[in-house]
Amino acid sequence: MSNDQHTDHDRLSSEQTAEVATAETTVPPSDERTTDLRPGADNCYKCTACDTSCPVAEVDDEFPGPKFQGPEQWRLKRSEDTDIDDSIMSCSNCMRCDSACPSGVPLSQMHNTARGEYVEGMSKLSREYVRNRILANYGRLARLGSRVPRLTNFVMGNRVTKWFNEQLLGITSEREFPAFATQTFREWYDERGGSKIESEDRRIAYFHGDYSNFNTPEVAKALVRVFESFGYEVAVPEQRCSGTPMFANGMLEDARRAAEFNVQTFSKLIDEGYDIVCSCTSCSMALRQEYPELFDFEDTELVATHTYEAIEYLRLHEDLDEAISETELEDEPALAYHAPCHARNQGLHRQALELLDELEGATIEDVGDSCSGISGTYGWKEEKYDYSMEIGEEMFEEMEDAAGTTGLTECPTCAMQMEHGTGYEINHPLELIEKALV
Amino acid sequence: MVNAPTVLVIGGGSTGCGIARDLAMRGFDITLVEKGNLTNGTTGRMHGLLHSGGRYAVADQASAKECIAENRILRDIASHCVEMTGGLFVQRPEDSGEYFRNKLQGCRECDIPTTVLSAAETRAKEPALAEDVERSIAVPDGAIDPFRLCVANALSAQRHGARIETHAEVTDVLVEDDTVVGCNVRHHTGPGKRTHRAPGTTEEIRADYVVNATGAWAGQIGELAGVDIEVRPSKGAMVIMNVRQVDTVINRCRPKGDADIIVPHETTAILGTTDKEVDDPEGYPEEQWEVDLMIDELSELIPVLRESRSIRSFWGVRPLYEPPGTGTADPTDITRDFFLLDHEERDGLAGMTSIVGGKFTTYRLMAERISNHVCEQFGSKADCRTAEEPLPGSEDFEVLRDHMEAFGLRSPIGRRSTQRLGSRAEEVLTTDGPNPVLCECEAVTRAEIQDAIDQSGTDLNAVRIRTRASMGNCQGGLCCHRMANELHPEHEEPTVRTALDELYQERWKGQRHALWGEQLSQAMLNHVLHGTTMNRDHDPARQETLDFDAFDTGIERTRASDGD
Amino acid sequence: MAISDDVIVIGGGLAGSMSALSAAKAGASVRLISHKESTLRHASGLIDVLGYPTEGDQPVVNPFDALDELPDEHPYTVVGESGIREGLALFDEITGDLYAGTHTDRNALVPTQQGTVKPTARYPRSMAAGIGNDRETLLVGFESLPDFDAPLAADHLEAVNVPFASRGVTVPFPADLRVDAKYTRFATALEREETTAALAETVESHLDGAERVAFPALLGRDNDGSVRSSLESHLGVSVFELPGGPPSLPGLRLVDRLSEALDAAGVHRSTGVPVVGRETAGDRVSSVLVDRGNHTPHPYHASEFVLATGGLVGKGIDSDRNGVHEPIFDCHVPHPKDRYDWFCGDAFGDHPFARFGVVSDGELRPVDAQGTVEHENLRAAGSVLGGANIAAEKSGSGISLATGALAGRLAAEAI
Repeated sequence: MSNDQHTDHDRLSSEQTAEVATAETTVPPSDERTTDLRPGADNCYKCTACDTSCPVAEVDDEFPGPKFQGPEQWRLKRSEDTDIDDSIMSCSNCMRCDSACPSGVPLSQMHNTARGEYVEGMSKLSREYVRNRILANYGRLARLGSRVPRLTNFVMGNRVTKWFNEQLLGITSEREFPAFATQTFREWYDERGGSKIESEDRRIAYFHGDYSNFNTPEVAKALVRVFESFGYEVAVPEQRCSGTPMFANGMLEDARRAAEFNVQTFSKLIDEGYDIVCSCTSCSMALRQEYPELFDFEDTELVATHTYEAIEYLRLHEDLDEAISETELEDEPALAYHAPCHARNQGLHRQALELLDELEGATIEDVGDSCSGISGTYGWKEEKYDYSMEIGEEMFEEMEDAAGTTGLTECPTCAMQMEHGTGYEINHPLELIEKALV
Repeated sequence: MVNAPTVLVIGGGSTGCGIARDLAMRGFDITLVEKGNLTNGTTGRMHGLLHSGGRYAVADQASAKECIAENRILRDIASHCVEMTGGLFVQRPEDSGEYFRNKLQGCRECDIPTTVLSAAETRAKEPALAEDVERSIAVPDGAIDPFRLCVANALSAQRHGARIETHAEVTDVLVEDDTVVGCNVRHHTGPGKRTHRAPGTTEEIRADYVVNATGAWAGQIGELAGVDIEVRPSKGAMVIMNVRQVDTVINRCRPKGDADIIVPHETTAILGTTDKEVDDPEGYPEEQWEVDLMIDELSELIPVLRESRSIRSFWGVRPLYEPPGTGTADPTDITRDFFLLDHEERDGLAGMTSIVGGKFTTYRLMAERISNHVCEQFGSKADCRTAEEPLPGSEDFEVLRDHMEAFGLRSPIGRRSTQRLGSRAEEVLTTDGPNPVLCECEAVTRAEIQDAIDQSGTDLNAVRIRTRASMGNCQGGLCCHRMANELHPEHEEPTVRTALDELYQERWKGQRHALWGEQLSQAMLNHVLHGTTMNRDHDPARQETLDFDAFDTGIERTRASDGD
Repeated sequence: MAISDDVIVIGGGLAGSMSALSAAKAGASVRLISHKESTLRHASGLIDVLGYPTEGDQPVVNPFDALDELPDEHPYTVVGESGIREGLALFDEITGDLYAGTHTDRNALVPTQQGTVKPTARYPRSMAAGIGNDRETLLVGFESLPDFDAPLAADHLEAVNVPFASRGVTVPFPADLRVDAKYTRFATALEREETTAALAETVESHLDGAERVAFPALLGRDNDGSVRSSLESHLGVSVFELPGGPPSLPGLRLVDRLSEALDAAGVHRSTGVPVVGRETAGDRVSSVLVDRGNHTPHPYHASEFVLATGGLVGKGIDSDRNGVHEPIFDCHVPHPKDRYDWFCGDAFGDHPFARFGVVSDGELRPVDAQGTVEHENLRAAGSVLGGANIAAEKSGSGISLATGALAGRLAAEAI
């Protein structure tokens, strides 16, 4: 068992050869003018796999589907054409079209870029813009709110506040705002004195994102403890939002600032031998795929190639499967697992199931391939709420049919939707792994 | 006009249609015959460059001056066919600085506006250009859609009373007393709009005057009339890229040569070209080396071309002509000027003039000159109005640009439809029923297809050139059956089937030159869709009746009859 | 090595799924690695075995009678009749309630949206009412769906001389959807009872004695057939779907079914990630390198491998101006040197490109130009195999079933 995959490659013995085909390339972004993604349309052969994989197009006929929004709209563009069809704002950025396209069209890159252009032309005073900006910048609000978590939780749960949000901002009153933890993950980490382990060759830099810092610190804590149990030093550098909600709302300038900060901070740590690990599959998606597609800071690629999802990292670098199969849990309730859409494009779609299948005492049931429907901020928008619930219906039904009444997923907003649709408590696989191993 | 002189124009290319329009506007009674559909010959097979004249500014200043003058006129009268992309003459390190200076000087002498751009300015304008380009000259080149331009001329001619007959081939030129008095014409499927499977007919069309505007085919018509016209057809290859790599016409700034231009054309970019003399304007080889040469040479200017998808290639034949005895050896040295050959003066055959040579950008001027010549024959003093009067679709284009979302279409579809239809957009796109997009690559709706069918009958290739439907990356794989569906019920099923087959085969023909990478995958997808799913390749309607009872007849009946 | 299985199957289409299921059935631990959605999503959903073995225009009644006519390099010649039957048997086991055609070896002539009929071996039950009887048929199309023109298709069926009378009618879609709504949207809209009822009411006025009604294949997104039964009970006549596409809901439904079967068989699945290379030890493949989205390929280990990455459409076979290749293992793909010899002049000619693919030995192992096995433990299945013009023959699905089932079983047996 090798602990270092890179040297494992370097050590290929003389009778071993490795050959890697050229990886699929995306169009490198250029800062000089708006990125020209028309060449991406060269890959499209009009098969409609993207359209039939799109959960929004299945419930909302205002959305003309990823093929139109992506390769077709780009191909029709002349340099002076600046108008983007407003239906781009109906895309939820679940990125299923990316994992659908058999021909390598950079669909989500096209959507993100078009959305950015559309938003640039939007009135900055419009209700939709203000609302989207607020939703996209959840982290900043959370930073304020979590200073007085109990008060914030009280206010946000207040019916008057919710009415106000819906009427004035177009944020649905149907959902409960996630409660802020009384102690953030970072506060906890500082209080315990940082990493309990110091190591030269096993060190990770944790990208926790805003949500597990402010709302679900137990997930972040689980990550720290699990990695420490494998002998890893866990650094928790300063960081901003990954940008996921900003991409989804076309707030590319906000995203650019956040991404630049993250790339700068984390690339320094990579130079010191750290790999980047995320507990949220949308965060890892942002660092791995969206950053290189949309920005070209120095070291964007370096950060992308060194970013992993937490369980993925341990499966690749440690024998997590073996460790899990050697332990057992007692009195564990049956779990209904939902794989987040963003996990799909990273090959992580089924890893939690595969892994926890080996864990004695745990009963995990997959609730199917459907999208949860919330897609980050999408399901928070008053005008999208019904669509969001309609998309989620299949998952809700499968959850109801499953044996367990506790949910399991890697994505914090999928978790919100699962809880919202069924009332179940939702856990993160890391919490289960922590229970089993630590 | 009572007893207006009748003029028969042979050839439905830009020149022929331009002549038909000009003379019809001057009150003549015009019939135009074309053996294929409009643009069938050279017009439909060019790269779509609206010359600024810059390309001729060093070697042929007379042509250059005509080009810039006509360029200004066409921007005005055919705004819905023209996109003023601007053009660049780009100098690479290995290109001569002296030639660059000559080009600049030449342009100035010909009144062609120029701006010299530094390397950085050049690449800022067109980021796809190679990093090592040195500088460029910006000129007012443009892109023009020859199909729509030609169709608009024909439409205008019709509005002025002309009769336009496509798929009407001249089988004989009638000569009586050393005078041409008309032609015998074979209508492939009868006169009027084309209807596949309708029987062919013949017609004798008599006229007071005949104009031979058949370009590279002029010699063949001359032969029927018993005169010798020495056209020297020269073929040029053009490669169509799936998307625009550039939004400006890019010319290589060096003396004439192959593969030195890329023209952004509608949704695509067209690479051109070669120049090789051929014997027969219809029978010449279309070769792999020509396609490879375009891509390899032009990649020096635009490196991404090497990795980019081509969707098809096509060849055109220039109708080059030089007066007998000139004897130029290299076709690239033959003049691009045009010539009026009055056969009465030249050959003692009255009643007919041929027009040969020339180039697309000056089609209107050529039409004006020959129309003047025809007027002289009849003592008519009518003035040419084609330089001022806009073509149908360009009457009030700017106003419509602001209203293109009014048709309930997604904005890029509305935008493209309006770019194509110009001021006809409202008339065409206002419909009662659902108006789905039939060709998704080119954003063509049912209403626009129906409008084109109204103009051209069951000829789906004529529908294609009017709308660009089936000209995108799937090359009709996903839409040509949708286009054919629109012919029904006005036309019967077997007619529709034949029309569909013809379009599908035409699309295949050009696509064959792009069969690698993405386009080969597309071809296989189309093949599977039309073969496996639709079974069009073995369409049982074409065969003897199948013995249905021999096949699986359903669960119950099979069990009952087989006992298995 | 963290990720290791007995058998790795690369490619998640029909052939890959069959390989994985077949290997799992034979007792192996199997991982299926798929990059993108498979081409099944835009295929008709019909399972053809063989319709036209040679250039002749008459379809064969019984595919098994025509196998002798196929060339030596044809995948069917490699797997033989028993291989085809093994593939069909596995398919029937998985889809028995969803597909019909098991009652006979004979081809069915299924009416299509184009108004042709096409020979096929297995067809979704939703299409079964359209097979071989003389009941008068009403074809119903929708104004906003331009792929299918029902009156034209009905006239085309008349030209085919089908043994039943047919008429066509075009109606508005019974729900207020934008014209560019996606097929999945139309299909899910029909899952609402009020939409189905409204459709039935519209169609009823056009029935005029028709004994069955055909719609384009969008009667519901899922496999339960409830939209069809609801229409049948409203109309009092049988209802069936006509295959078409892309997109193709019958194809999507088959994808769903295969996915359920893979889960039930305990097949490990890594989706959304490409295999970008391989590691070899001697003449064996030791691992395939998987790019997990951060361009840092990781090895996935197994003792046996099945290549089921598809043909030119599925991108298991790739080409450029200079040649044709198989990108993962660089297996030999025979093709004419001159690219102008890859195609014929006629759009429906017997194109050499339609036969592009790897060549295998009798155990489906790809061989090089000299006929030597490329890797001892690598097998190929489905459209990545060359030698068949699947579009002309109507043999694509059958080849995927047969070679998939056999490659999977042989891989499992070789462990």
